[in-house]
Formats: sequence, C-alpha cells, structure tokens
Amino acid sequence: MTDKSLIGMEFPPFRFLVEEGKLMEFVRAIHADDPVFADREAANAAGFAALPAPPTFSCATAHWQPADDSNPLQLDLSRVLAGGNEWEYRRPILAGEEYTVRTRISDVSEKTGSKGVMTLIVREMSFYDAADTLVLIARSTIIQLPPPPPATASEVLPT
Amino acid sequence: MNANENNVFLRFTVGDQAPERRVGPINRTDIVRYAGAGGDFNPIHHDETFAQRSGYRSVFGHGLFTAGVLSAYATSWLGLAALRKYSVRYVSQVWPGDTLILSGQVAGVNELATGCTEVECDLFVQREAANGERTLVLTAHAVASYDLQRARPHV
Repeated sequence: MTDKSLIGMEFPPFRFLVEEGKLMEFVRAIHADDPVFADREAANAAGFAALPAPPTFSCATAHWQPADDSNPLQLDLSRVLAGGNEWEYRRPILAGEEYTVRTRISDVSEKTGSKGVMTLIVREMSFYDAADTLVLIARSTIIQLPPPPPATASEVLPT
Repeated sequence: MNANENNVFLRFTVGDQAPERRVGPINRTDIVRYAGAGGDFNPIHHDETFAQRSGYRSVFGHGLFTAGVLSAYATSWLGLAALRKYSVRYVSQVWPGDTLILSGQVAGVNELATGCTEVECDLFVQREAANGERTLVLTAHAVASYDLQRARPHV
C-alpha cells in the first residue's frame, strides 16, 4: 500500500565512523583490486591523506543505524527489492573520519508493472563531516512488489 | 587501466571504452561476505529456504554487491577523486555460478564555464551463466569532473 504521508519522515541522526578494518572487509567483498583502496602508499600517491572508501561504502552505515524492530515503513522482506541507488559526492570519504548521517524519506510513488502495482520508496541519507560540511548524499529506491507471487521456480524480475 | 590521479593528460573522448573486466564465478560465500561487509542481512540473499518460499530459484547477490564491484571498476578508470555522481538501476538478479562482465563507455564530455571538464559514462554489468548465456543485470551512470588547469581532479 502506498502511503504518501511517509514523505519527509525523518529518522534519528546517527554517528558513522569510517574504520580501516571495515573498509578492508568491504574492499575485498566487492573484489576491488585497485591498490588505492588497500595500500596507504598508493592512496597517498593518489593525493589521499588516508585510505579512501569505495564509492558505495556508505551502505555500511547499516551497521551504525540505531536498531529498530518497529519496521516503520511496514515492509514485507519477502516482497522487497532494491530498485536502484544513487550517490552524489563532494569528495571521497576517508578512513578515520567521523560522520553524522541524517536520513529521510524523500519520495513515495507507485508504478504498475507486470506483477501489479509496486510501491517505490526513496530513502535519502546525507553525510556531514566533523566540520558539519555535507560530503555525500546517498539515495536508495526500495521496491515493494504486490502480494505474494506464486511459489514457482521462475525468475521474478524487479522491473 | 589505473587512472593516475595526477595525470595531466587524463582526457576522455565520447565513445572511449573501459577494458572489459570479468569477476567470478560468484558463489554463495561471495554473497555472504558482502552481506557482512555491507550490513544487509535480508535472508533472501543467504537463506535458501526463505528465497525459494519467496518465489526465487535460489539465493541471489545483493544489488549493492554488483553496484560495489562496478563502482571500483569505474573509479579505476575515471579516478576516485574525480567522481561526482554514480547511479545504478537493477535490472535482474545475479545467481550463484554467474560471472560478472563489467563494461563502460564515455557518453559525453562537457567543458563547464568553471574551467572543469565533466565526463559522463554509461556502465553495464552482465551476468554470464555457466552455459555462456549473457543477461544484463545492472546499468549505471557516472559523472566525473576534472580541472585540467590544475591538472588534478576537481575537488
């Protein structure tokens, strides 16, 4: 069900510390082989004061978000798909930095696909550094499919 | 393929292509490793029973896993400090056993009034199944900005 009243909903801000160990785990997980992400000398040579985070590392904030079992968006995980993500960068995020992340729902809409009416929810996270300067905006579109597709082995596409 | 962040001669032309990269075959351990690294524990990505009850033939990779793999490919080509925008749209799933095929090309080069050069790229990930069949799984768009006067990515 589409609930437009969710637009503008804000979540409590939280702290996000960019740890080198977590960065390395992420770099390996995404098969990033560029030494700039793993070797301090390569990072320094490229003009970075510390190891830089890969462009999508912002999603590791999932580990820092306050635990919330109330499911405020009323999502059914068996019907939820990632529709897309986008990032706007002012500069790369670096190991050792601490951010304050502010999250809001920036849009809720409906789209009719082959399976019926889908709900699209856009969550926007803004990353502010220690000087309270906006460094990164990350948006994710969450798709909730219509009620249960038949339990066949067919491939269900998100579009 | 590694872009030198300081390269004065770093210039792009419409139609330029990044060298294709293959990653995989992706296995369940890759998916679980990404779940831990990225913090997304939706069971549809690691619990076979849950995935099949939800109508999928098996668990499948996180969209952000594929987006992450492609992002590092993009920055190796464009330079991390120059990256201004990166957006991805998920088209289909990545199944265990698939190999990711990464590609990209320059779609536009714009000289801005600020003296910076903005480069727009289209990027793609296909999955290659064990039988060799390829399917598009993700499309992406990246914008990088360079200040050639300063011979540095525009920060």
